[in-house]
Amino acid sequence: MASVQAEPIAVSAAADSGPWRLALRRLRRNRVALGFLGLFVAIVVFVIAAPLWADHVAHTGPNATHTLERITVGGEKRDVVNPEGKPLGPQWFGAGGKFFLGADSRLGRDEMVRLMYGGRTSLIIGVVSALITTILATVLGLLSGYYRGWTDSVISRAMDVLWAFPVLLLAIALGVSLAIGGLKIGPVEISGGSIWIPILIIGVVMTPYMARPLRGEVLALREKEFVEAAVAQGAGSLRVMFAELLPNLWSTIIVFFTLNIAGNMLLESALSYLGVGVQPPNSSWGTMISTGSELITSAPLLTIIPGTMILLTVLSLNVFGDGLRDALDPKSKVRFEARAGVAATGAAGTEGLEELGR
Amino acid sequence: MRKLGSVLLVLALVAASAVGLAACGSSSGGKEGGTLTGSYASFPDYLDPQLSYTSEGWTALWNSYTPLLSFAHAGGKAGSKVIPGLATAMPKITNGGKTYTLFLRKGLKYSDGTPVKASDFPATVERLFKLNSGGVPFYTSIVGAEKFAETKQGGISGIKTNDKTGEIVIDLEKPRGTFTDELAIPFVALVPKGTPAKNLTADPPPATGPYEITNSEPGRGWTYERNPAWAGANGKLMPQLPGGHVNKIEISVIRNDSTQVNEVEQGKTDWMQAPPPPDRYQEVKNKYEGTQFRVEKTVSTYYFWMNMKRAPFDDLKVREAVNYAIDPRALERIYAGSLAATHQILPPGMPGYEKFDLYPHNMAKAEQLIKEANPSDLNITVWGDNEPENSEATQYYQDVLNKLGFNAKFKEINADNYYSIIGNVNTPDLDTGWFDWFEDYPHPNDFFQPLLSGESIAPTNNSNFSQTDIPELNAKISRLGEETLGPKQEAEYAELDKEFMEHAPWAPYGTRIISTFVSSAIDLDKVIFNPTFEDDLTSFQFK
Repeated sequence: MASVQAEPIAVSAAADSGPWRLALRRLRRNRVALGFLGLFVAIVVFVIAAPLWADHVAHTGPNATHTLERITVGGEKRDVVNPEGKPLGPQWFGAGGKFFLGADSRLGRDEMVRLMYGGRTSLIIGVVSALITTILATVLGLLSGYYRGWTDSVISRAMDVLWAFPVLLLAIALGVSLAIGGLKIGPVEISGGSIWIPILIIGVVMTPYMARPLRGEVLALREKEFVEAAVAQGAGSLRVMFAELLPNLWSTIIVFFTLNIAGNMLLESALSYLGVGVQPPNSSWGTMISTGSELITSAPLLTIIPGTMILLTVLSLNVFGDGLRDALDPKSKVRFEARAGVAATGAAGTEGLEELGR
Repeated sequence: MRKLGSVLLVLALVAASAVGLAACGSSSGGKEGGTLTGSYASFPDYLDPQLSYTSEGWTALWNSYTPLLSFAHAGGKAGSKVIPGLATAMPKITNGGKTYTLFLRKGLKYSDGTPVKASDFPATVERLFKLNSGGVPFYTSIVGAEKFAETKQGGISGIKTNDKTGEIVIDLEKPRGTFTDELAIPFVALVPKGTPAKNLTADPPPATGPYEITNSEPGRGWTYERNPAWAGANGKLMPQLPGGHVNKIEISVIRNDSTQVNEVEQGKTDWMQAPPPPDRYQEVKNKYEGTQFRVEKTVSTYYFWMNMKRAPFDDLKVREAVNYAIDPRALERIYAGSLAATHQILPPGMPGYEKFDLYPHNMAKAEQLIKEANPSDLNITVWGDNEPENSEATQYYQDVLNKLGFNAKFKEINADNYYSIIGNVNTPDLDTGWFDWFEDYPHPNDFFQPLLSGESIAPTNNSNFSQTDIPELNAKISRLGEETLGPKQEAEYAELDKEFMEHAPWAPYGTRIISTFVSSAIDLDKVIFNPTFEDDLTSFQFK
């Protein structure tokens, strides 16, 4: 009886709300996803506060060296870098917030300040490159899937070429070749050490991984009745693509975007660790791991702290991205669970899938 | 059975005695044979004798490629002595110091079986010029060499050879006091005539020394095996050169210094070419000094060069300001005990060295000089390699420049390619950067002619990074270079050191203290550290 009563309410609610409101409602019910969104927001606030911490607490910039300086901790003078080259460990608030997490290397830079600024760099690279990937992939996916024919062939083969290279290897090759001379396309000139180099590299090399699934979705959507109706009403190709098809891709694009930020941050860390991403002395969490790894035996925290920040950021984006996907496209979750059921229960699961199919 | 048993017992006793005697022998003389494993932090610039111009490269090439003359395989001052190599004796110098006559030993062969001929010497020098090698400035005083450098055709008229007698006659334009030393460095180590004039790092040319490089994987590592020609003839013909103890040497590139230390500690690698990283230096020193670890003084200068042909470093006041602003004590700390602060061009241990410091650290004075100079171009590119200490030193330098009001950007280049990139004068934005210089030979001219003489500025493989070209000092380098080194010349080199520092083309900051670190299987006492070639691979012996 209860279920019979609940159904009309749900139907009525669905009728009153648009798909976005429904998705928001679903997302609100997903406490885990919201918890991780809160964690991500906290990380963003932490890195945005970098200049405040640097100016008012640490009183130093992210790249300022303090090799020969001494600080007073509890009335005791301590070397920022001792004569044997070992940097100061975490001082927490012992020195009024200076060297909260200690010094980063023999250059005696404030680890906390670099962590905050490094986070800004890593997040900016992650978000902007994900934006580039998303724009490129959406445009290419729409063109390829809508026009099909030779347009599709050209775009798809170009994507295949990019896809054929291992993503890290391709990014390293591009990073090395652009590190010296930079990039010049027409009037646009980007110097070798610019943050735009890793942003563009990551943005471009990740494009096929998003363009391919979008193309598939466009290929399916363009056969739907609403597209036929739009064409019958005299809508041109651009209007069909951007006014009819694109709105139906938004849920996929948003989910991809959040997951891309996480993936791109990981790629940035790997590139910076290998010396072809963010150029020193600028910090990113990847470069901080690289610097810290040289002192892994004497100061392991220098590696562990930025590593943990990457872990938390990527984890929060991935869990939130999953939650967003469940909220925007609940069928995908049902499909996923059904597939998982097949794997777990064999024939019984297949029956379940058939049932769902009906 | 019993009889057989007693026979076996006797045989076993004999064998045990033999092993015992062998063991006694090895405790005094060490074992012969075995495979030595070593590690480098980065691949040398080249594994080609005509091209390599780094201490890492020379360590790698010394025992494979032999010039007409060589340096004694010894440590300290004894290792600075020039001795005959492929030549039968030291050169006969005539014609007022302008003609050098040598004779090639008869019967020498390359590792591929090709006989070594006197005519290979001019072919080798020509190859050096065709490759635009960094070693070119050492040999431009040979008659006809400058013309050949331009045309790359027609041979070098100042070298005459006779393959039958092995005679090699070298005519110089003017006397050159360093030429004997220059005949003993790898640039003129003989390779067969017809060796392609291209970088042969991936497939090094045939060798004349005790070891040949049998496999080279640029960026990853290389392998030496005993040169068959050494056992056949060369070893007997050149008894003054050691033949080495191990049969095979496998070198791999391990980028992480700390991993290299771990591998040596665990005995997985027998030797690491680079010193332990700063954060482990003291730990390794305390634990292994005397048994597996030894501190070695080098004759080297670490410095920041400033391109005198580009703003803002075309202004003396800016260069002086940089010298005042740099605090060598900070750099000593960055190198964590493996660098001794100096502030001049000639390093301790080099003839002519006299300690002075024209620019003691004074930030206020530096800022005042910058104010007076009022440079219009504040954007500076600072070049450095990615070896951890050098990278940090360059980042410190960049911070100093920013504190002086510049907008300095650090351009970090992989150490494998660093020299080739900053040695190409067409590389954009070569404003300032890091470099180190280890002696090519024990002569003070070696710190002036290739690094600071205007004549040495070359389009590629350039070593005069500051592009210093001061006519009166060029002339002095040239004049002193013609004279045989003695107390008078040493005093003049000391004066030249000060004169250059008054122009401040560099901000020198230290001389390197490095180390030899070997596994417990290696007899550290036997390992020779040569002041020019560093660890001598022929001296490594298993206990």
